[in-house]
Amino acid sequence: MAFKRSNVPGEDIRLAMEMTAKRRQLIDETPATPLVYEYGVNRLAKALHPGFVKAVIADKTPCSSDCVKITLKLSDGGEFPYFRAGQFVTLSCKAGDSYLSRPYSIISSPKEALAGKLEIMVQRKGIFSSFIIDEAPSGTELWMGEPSGDFYHDSIRDRSHILAIAGGSGVTPFLSMMKAIREGSEDFRLTLVYGARTRAHIPFDPEAFKCEGVETVVVLSEEEAEGYKHGFITADLLKKYVDDDTSVFMCGPDAMYRFVGKELESIGFDPARIRQERNSVGDREVDEIKAFRLTVHIRDTVYELDANNNETLITALERAGIPAVVRCRNGSCGFCHSRVVDGNYYIAKKDDFRRLADRKFNYIHPCSTYPESDMIIDIPIMNP
Amino acid sequence: MDKYDVIVIGAGNGGLGAACKILNSGKSCLVCEKHNIPGGFATSFVRGRFEFEASLHEFNGIGTDEEPGSTRKVFEELGIADKIEWIQLKDAYHLISEKEGYDYVMPFGAEAFAKASGKLHPDGEKCIKDFLALCKQIREAMAYLGETKGKPDPQVMMERFPDYLACGSYSVKEGFEALGYPKVIVDNLNAYWCYLGANENNMTFLHYANMINSYITGGAAIPRYRSHEISLACEERIHELGGDIWFNTEVVKILTDKEGHVCGVRLKDGREVESRHVIANCSPHLVYGKMLDSEAVPERAIKLTNFRKLAGKGFTVFLGLSKSAEELGITDHNYFVYDSSDNVAQYEAMKTLENTGAQATVCLNNAYPDCSPEGTCIVYMTTLFTDDAWSAVSKEDYFKTKNKVAARMIKRFEKATGTNIHDHIEEIAIATPETYARYCGHPQGTIYGYESQYYDGLMNRIQMVEEDRFVPGLRIGGGYGERLLGYPSSFKSGVNEAGRTLRDMEKEGR
Repeated sequence: MAFKRSNVPGEDIRLAMEMTAKRRQLIDETPATPLVYEYGVNRLAKALHPGFVKAVIADKTPCSSDCVKITLKLSDGGEFPYFRAGQFVTLSCKAGDSYLSRPYSIISSPKEALAGKLEIMVQRKGIFSSFIIDEAPSGTELWMGEPSGDFYHDSIRDRSHILAIAGGSGVTPFLSMMKAIREGSEDFRLTLVYGARTRAHIPFDPEAFKCEGVETVVVLSEEEAEGYKHGFITADLLKKYVDDDTSVFMCGPDAMYRFVGKELESIGFDPARIRQERNSVGDREVDEIKAFRLTVHIRDTVYELDANNNETLITALERAGIPAVVRCRNGSCGFCHSRVVDGNYYIAKKDDFRRLADRKFNYIHPCSTYPESDMIIDIPIMNP
Repeated sequence: MDKYDVIVIGAGNGGLGAACKILNSGKSCLVCEKHNIPGGFATSFVRGRFEFEASLHEFNGIGTDEEPGSTRKVFEELGIADKIEWIQLKDAYHLISEKEGYDYVMPFGAEAFAKASGKLHPDGEKCIKDFLALCKQIREAMAYLGETKGKPDPQVMMERFPDYLACGSYSVKEGFEALGYPKVIVDNLNAYWCYLGANENNMTFLHYANMINSYITGGAAIPRYRSHEISLACEERIHELGGDIWFNTEVVKILTDKEGHVCGVRLKDGREVESRHVIANCSPHLVYGKMLDSEAVPERAIKLTNFRKLAGKGFTVFLGLSKSAEELGITDHNYFVYDSSDNVAQYEAMKTLENTGAQATVCLNNAYPDCSPEGTCIVYMTTLFTDDAWSAVSKEDYFKTKNKVAARMIKRFEKATGTNIHDHIEEIAIATPETYARYCGHPQGTIYGYESQYYDGLMNRIQMVEEDRFVPGLRIGGGYGERLLGYPSSFKSGVNEAGRTLRDMEKEGR
């Protein structure tokens, strides 16, 4: 083998020996201009994902018997991050002695967010929604997480027609999508099938979003009215809106997912084409409510508190006023990823979105985990 | 405790390796990580019923239980080897290059690889045997240099390692020209170029030859539970050894004392933690440009950092498919799909958003069939942008642009392999340079640190590693380090910087 570049004896070795000297010289010749470490890419990443920011409640408008539209503005008056229609934000604040956080879908369109205004819908369900609706006046300051979630139309994954099925405040992500289609920031067709008991339970104006590519069908179960369907969201009804190019998106209570899921199955709809927005993990049924001792490490600070076996760990942490990170509250986003140092716990299979290695090395998402013994956990510090 | 012997900034591969090394020596160590999980790019994420590997295509230097590779030995020394379960890969790669009409699978193993090369060209088998013998000499020369701590006997070098000495200045192109192999054999050996993201004029021959030798002779593996398994194995080891690791904890300042020696760090929330030694597992651009006070940064550090070239900007499409790999006709674990094997032309074309002509695609199920539910599979395809083209994308155009590029990559893969995957996409996630910038803070969203350049390659960096540090008490390790990018390299770089830090501490103690 003749492995050489140069036929001059020793030339290759000489060149090799000169490499470091040449590098040294090139560094010497490089200007010492200030280092640039932030580029357009880095600025856009920050604009899209600012983490938690401070926002204030600017307005509250009731929109049905149990839903209120909340208008938010950023405390610094700036624009909200651009997002994908269908995403949610997490609101958190101190309420009494508790530290509470809840995710809410965005009503606004992506372009409206850039104008500095963001609307969300809050349905009266529990402690935080009651606090927001009844106790927090306009001007109340909250922490708001960046828009998150993968419940949006993806032009590669999803078909060009979305059959959107919703109940309660579950219509919210679809309101954002309809606005996005109207303003041109999204390009797909959407048929909304909305189920409500009576007209008084409808938290939006079905006529308001009509435009090319958007159709709205409201099904009332306890009232007959002109312009509305009567009954339930059945296979017969859904069949009319399913074509070869349809993906189904559902957002509403779990009971609706079970019912509509069966109806879709009966007409042979491909389950891989169905997406459901996941609901928060709530309390669970237990034979006997027991309180366990929970020891929590956040960096080098240690907290002790009681945690009930029928409540998720995050519920216990919040009640004790411990600033614990949480975002989706349904076990899927991994934001509250925490280490179990000791103790037993339960996670329902449907709420277990942990990574395989998390299971192997004993990590949990406190938002979907119930204690089954005294526990010691190590949780990340809250970002803000 | 508000004082540690060493503080590690960033829990990427390099930071985790560094922390394990420091703690194994009995020193105290705190790791501060901006994100809420360890690993940096060595992580995974769940969408629906799929868990996607975030970055790892394959891990070289692992070897087998019987014949451990160099990286496994490092894992053993640190006490993490038993915490990770490895799955060996069967074949090296399936190369498809449209311009030349290449479409074949190369196996791992010196013999098998040489034999398969014989099918590409009558001289193929001989060339590969000859090439691997050269690689062996290079490896032995490097080992000898290590043993003699960089002060070798020139006589020994001349006698035993003449080819190593000759090729010290060669680029990949110059090296293969000197070897004079047929084009088809060189094109095949160049198939791994996308793993380092530098073209044959800038990639140093010694570095590249060493890497492909490791793949061909030692094979590659993946951790059973994605690269997150490696990261959590390290985290567990850190806890076992009494170390601390704080998440959601961004270091905004590296503090120095009157003498210019490191004396601690300041966190984003204002808290300060004392330490005489910091190992930064992040970009020197950030360290010298932002984290240190400008008075603490000598002019030469700025010059050196400006001299470096930010490497390829990453782009990956992750797909959860509602059919099995077998049903879809995806037969291999690892595909290199190229428009052309001319990697200089390819590198130039990849400067714009309009070209994604080189992609490395993995179908995880072909290494590990149970990695997703029955009747499904996971495919992810990665490409690089060789210039900062994504910086010009506006927020209003961002989502559409990323889907446009991703759709083109999917089509390209389908065309190359004669498969239909688009109709079976159940889950999709797309990582752009913005995504990589968001999670790890890298300028321009580079995933490969500083690109190998003719005068900034592996050997130069190793030889000048002490010359390239400027602030007493501060060392920088990881993907930007002297061993360049990649899982084993960034991990070992962190371990090496920790070793140097321990020696610094020893000197101080004397």
